[in-house]
Amino acid sequence: MRLVHRSGNFVALGLLLFACAGLFGCSETVPSGLLEAVESIDRDLVLLHAAEMSPDDYARFAHQWMALKARAEAEEDAIHWPWEQNDLEQALRRLEEEGVRTVAHLTERRESLRRSAEEQLTQVQDRFQILTSRVGTIDSRLVLGRKPVETDLWITQARSFYEQGQYEHSLHASEQAAQRIAEQALVLSRELGRYADRERITRWQEMAKDTVEWSRKHQASAIVVSKADRLLTLYRNGKRVLSYPVRLGFNGIREKLYQGDGATPEGRYRVAGKRGQGQTQFYRALVLNYPNADDRKRFLLGRKAGNIPRSRSIGGQIEIHGIENELMAQTLGCIMLDNSQMALLFTHVEKGTPVTIVGALQKDNSVALVLADLSVRTNEI
Amino acid sequence: MIRLPYVPFLLFCTILMIAGCAQPPAEQMSAAEQAVKDAQQSGAATYVPDEYAKLEGTLSAMKKEVADQEAKFALFRDYGKVEQLAATAKAEADRVKGEAVKKMDEAKSAAVQAHRDAQEAVKKAMDLVAKAPTGKDRAALESIKTDAEALKASLNDVQMMIDKSDYPAAKTKADAIREKSLAVSHEIETALAKVSKAKPVSGKKK
Repeated sequence: MRLVHRSGNFVALGLLLFACAGLFGCSETVPSGLLEAVESIDRDLVLLHAAEMSPDDYARFAHQWMALKARAEAEEDAIHWPWEQNDLEQALRRLEEEGVRTVAHLTERRESLRRSAEEQLTQVQDRFQILTSRVGTIDSRLVLGRKPVETDLWITQARSFYEQGQYEHSLHASEQAAQRIAEQALVLSRELGRYADRERITRWQEMAKDTVEWSRKHQASAIVVSKADRLLTLYRNGKRVLSYPVRLGFNGIREKLYQGDGATPEGRYRVAGKRGQGQTQFYRALVLNYPNADDRKRFLLGRKAGNIPRSRSIGGQIEIHGIENELMAQTLGCIMLDNSQMALLFTHVEKGTPVTIVGALQKDNSVALVLADLSVRTNEI
Repeated sequence: MIRLPYVPFLLFCTILMIAGCAQPPAEQMSAAEQAVKDAQQSGAATYVPDEYAKLEGTLSAMKKEVADQEAKFALFRDYGKVEQLAATAKAEADRVKGEAVKKMDEAKSAAVQAHRDAQEAVKKAMDLVAKAPTGKDRAALESIKTDAEALKASLNDVQMMIDKSDYPAAKTKADAIREKSLAVSHEIETALAKVSKAKPVSGKKK
């Protein structure tokens, strides 16, 4: 009887332990929702392009996440006693906290990157627009060669990357565009710097003064053309008679080097011949004695320095002429006037009349002002 | 005839030998590592970077598990979890590799198509430049000509990017070239329509 009673006690104790194990030990290894929470953080990080934006942060998260996920799967059926410490749950909670912090940090970083990319893009677009407009006002687009298109392509790429949410790529493209803009400003400064060179301007002023003086001394006509002002002035007996706006070569702002460069020469010339109606396709024309000795010397020096292609000759037949077709905006290197003005000029000028073509007559000429403005903006980049 | 008292001892030695011989699943681990390497070489790190990072995470968990087991007394080593992780890593690596290859092929096709479209657009612009009258706005014409040449030269950059498998950048640049070429063509077409009456300047020296 005592034996039966003792056996009953053992069975009761066993059942109690089993019930406790069922109640506490067989509970979930990881609370429901914790794995889903970390999974959701992972999804947020993927959406934030964390693996590209901050590879180290994401790799750290992913490594921990994969290790803990594997552990959670392996320990799914494990029995834990209530007094046992659940370090998997603790590790997952730590990862969740770290993940939330990483999401917040990356969200902030991405937004800041987006703002920078937007700002840079806007800035570079504005600068390019200003440069294009300034270059247009002094007809020097050709001086820049391929650089404007290269800049344009970088800006388009920066915009495209920005729209795709690839802000780092957008920033890189904007930087490339900014670099091209700075290069263009440098090219302009190198090619047209003489318009801002005080000594050169003084020399041009002296050339013009000599021409006017010649006109006064010889009681005759003389012409001065300022390329920066796009202005032709006729002097008679040392006095200004008329001033007309002119159009130059398609690359007129540059110093003429060779045939076909579209530049209008600078120097002291004379009218070598007059062509009336029927003798020229351009209404009326005054043929200049280009190339003169200085032009030939410059040409030879340029060729020696390798600045002039071997196939190119010095060119010629530079004229002051009228308009053949209203649609012609520039010449191939000549100086072009409206026909009514050309008619008047034609009557005032004889064979041998001096024609002095200079870059600019004022220190604050249009080209110098544009160069100064671009230089300030380039320094800001 | 073995005497009875030695039986438990022999049994213990046999169990010890069997348990002591538990080795990491080298073949499976190596297959998993190779699969991850293959995925990486297939461009997974570029085209599916998050998936690839997780893959590396699984591999790293596998290695850690091996180290944990090796740190235990030989009798208690169990490489079951390592086997499971190696199998997961291998299967995932194969899947990620497939996805990376698919994405890379898509990116390549898109870049090649964009390059082709850009080439066509540049050719159209160049043809129009050749047709443009020389007697009108010569500066504009020369600028357009220079632009078209610059666009043509930029096509080489796109080809170089494609050759370097930098497909997304190649596509973006090709699209930019195409867009600019269309703008140039439009500019010439507008000019052509305006100046169809303009006469060319005779071939004078200048």
